[in-house]
Amino acid sequence: MVLKVGLDLGSTAIKAVLADNEQILWRGKSPTRPGQEAVGQSLIDSALAEIGAPGNAIGGIAVTGYGKKLFSRSDGRVDEISANAAGLFRLSGGRARTIVNIGGQDLKVLFLDDRGRVADFRMNDKCAAGTGRFFELAARILDTPLEEFGVLSRLAEKDLELNSTCVVFAESEIVSLLAAGTPKEEIIKALHASVARRVAALLGRNSRGPIWLDGGPARNSGLLEAIEDELLTEVLVLEHPQYTVAYGALLALD
Amino acid sequence: MNPDVERERRQRLFQKVIRKNKDETAKVLGTLRNREDYRPELDYFLDLAADTSATAAEKRSERPALRLLCLQAPLELIHAAGFQPFKVFSGSLSTSTLATQDFPALICPLLRAVLGEMILNESDSPGLPWVLPTTCDWVVKFPEMLTLTGHPSKPEFHWLELPHLKNRRDSRERWLGEVWQLKEFLEKTSKRPIKRAALLESAEIYGHAEEILQRLKIARETGFLSSVWFMLIVNTFFLDAVEKWTARAEILLSALTAGQITGGRVFLAGSPIVFPNFKLPFLFEEAGLTVVADDLCSSERLFPGKTLITDTSVFGLISTLAGRYHQGCLCPIFADNDRRINNILGRRTNVSFHGVIFHVLKGCHPYDLESFSLENGLKAQGLKFIRLETDYAPEDGQNLLTRLEAYRATLTDK
Repeated sequence: MVLKVGLDLGSTAIKAVLADNEQILWRGKSPTRPGQEAVGQSLIDSALAEIGAPGNAIGGIAVTGYGKKLFSRSDGRVDEISANAAGLFRLSGGRARTIVNIGGQDLKVLFLDDRGRVADFRMNDKCAAGTGRFFELAARILDTPLEEFGVLSRLAEKDLELNSTCVVFAESEIVSLLAAGTPKEEIIKALHASVARRVAALLGRNSRGPIWLDGGPARNSGLLEAIEDELLTEVLVLEHPQYTVAYGALLALD
Repeated sequence: MNPDVERERRQRLFQKVIRKNKDETAKVLGTLRNREDYRPELDYFLDLAADTSATAAEKRSERPALRLLCLQAPLELIHAAGFQPFKVFSGSLSTSTLATQDFPALICPLLRAVLGEMILNESDSPGLPWVLPTTCDWVVKFPEMLTLTGHPSKPEFHWLELPHLKNRRDSRERWLGEVWQLKEFLEKTSKRPIKRAALLESAEIYGHAEEILQRLKIARETGFLSSVWFMLIVNTFFLDAVEKWTARAEILLSALTAGQITGGRVFLAGSPIVFPNFKLPFLFEEAGLTVVADDLCSSERLFPGKTLITDTSVFGLISTLAGRYHQGCLCPIFADNDRRINNILGRRTNVSFHGVIFHVLKGCHPYDLESFSLENGLKAQGLKFIRLETDYAPEDGQNLLTRLEAYRATLTDK
């Protein structure tokens, strides 16, 4: 058995996928913190221990993400956009043509050709609006776990308009709404809608087929529904959207 | 506030900025000197870049510096009047911080840095009047912005009203009139007439510099000279006498050896990149991209093209120069600017490249606006296009690198 490892050293989490002949055997993650090489290695060690494989079973390690240069033992480095395209194209059975990836600090839109290669892409610049960081901040202010956002947004009775996706301005806006007695369900729904508008702006008129929502925040069903509402297009999500990029990286070891 | 306290605060602030500016410059120069492709013939250009002030240019060239914003005033005319043409631009992040408080957040970073340098050197003599063509809004409003900084010794400005339509006869005639007025202004300032012989001689000198620029471009296209060095060399063009700069560039050209172009070959378009802000050129290399040609006014577009002089009378020379500097200019402030996309597509037939990187300095609206139509036009011709909007601050480096790496992968996929 020759195993391959894909490591996605992202801005908020380090994700690892271990595969045998592209068949995923293990996936795991850890929050990003100093000493990324050690964090990545400990994920690999955990994977090997859990599947009961020896260390020498690993045939290659591919790295991607902001911290990819911090992992010295890699056999290949891939940019995260190419890795995302490769991973999602394979895991979607070759169906994906348009991907929206919401990462910890960035928001990306990818357009794939019929062979799964990146034909074009767009990415936010310095601004963290609409990214995972934005949701983390909102969760903190609302004192509500992110995992509950999807369910809670469906309980909203009214549609609110949140004026800003700017992380800084949104914070004060959310605080003001809470102070005015606005139910948090309505605020969460408005948050989803504001991010969906930002996604639509980045996407422009270029999408083909359904949108594949990817990255950690893709697990938020409320966000998925908001994007569907905004784009009037079907939005699909893989079962483990946080690991697509790590998986795509290991495919580059072929 | 107590004036003495304010004066002391200002002095401390200036000292801090001067220190940071020196560090900024030294860091880039150090990086350049430590490159594998460094060679001693580049020292001259590195030394020029170490001091980019007009005062230094005056000392080196032994001519009074005549400051210009933008590049529409014929350099030959200024040179023939006995001046050192000095394009005012700055890529200094530290000096730009001095001019943040009085202006909108989205002011052009380049002009903000220039304003910062003016504030920093406010005790210097205002020098000769500046020549200002009416290009973008930021340039047009520059004197007003300088007044707002409270600058104690604002220079005088000689305006060149630049018609924003190139393809109309009355526009060309108006521009010719402006260039004649520039001649009069230069003669008044230098207190001597611009003679035909002097103008011819200057045209010849700049014609030779243009030839050298062409050779430098070929050296870059063919891998003899990296794009980072090319940008440094052309950035220093106004910092010494044109003859000396040209001679040193010739020495460098004869010493260059064949290199290898690795990675994706790209054309760089858009807003200027000015030393020491070499954030993007370094990131291009880190992402495995090789800029083989560009249309930046801080780089290849220093000259609008070779002047073909057929009529050597003063009238003929002025008409030829005026026409070339107006018609040959690709600045996005022009309403009829098809030549810009045609230039990129035309270059593609001579220089092989697979994509275009479009650089927008945040706040540089004409380039920003033009990027969208260029994107459509270039993509329709099968070129990969990426638009990078940034400023002088380094914090978006990782974000830009991610995009550039992915962009490079799309070129490799072709």
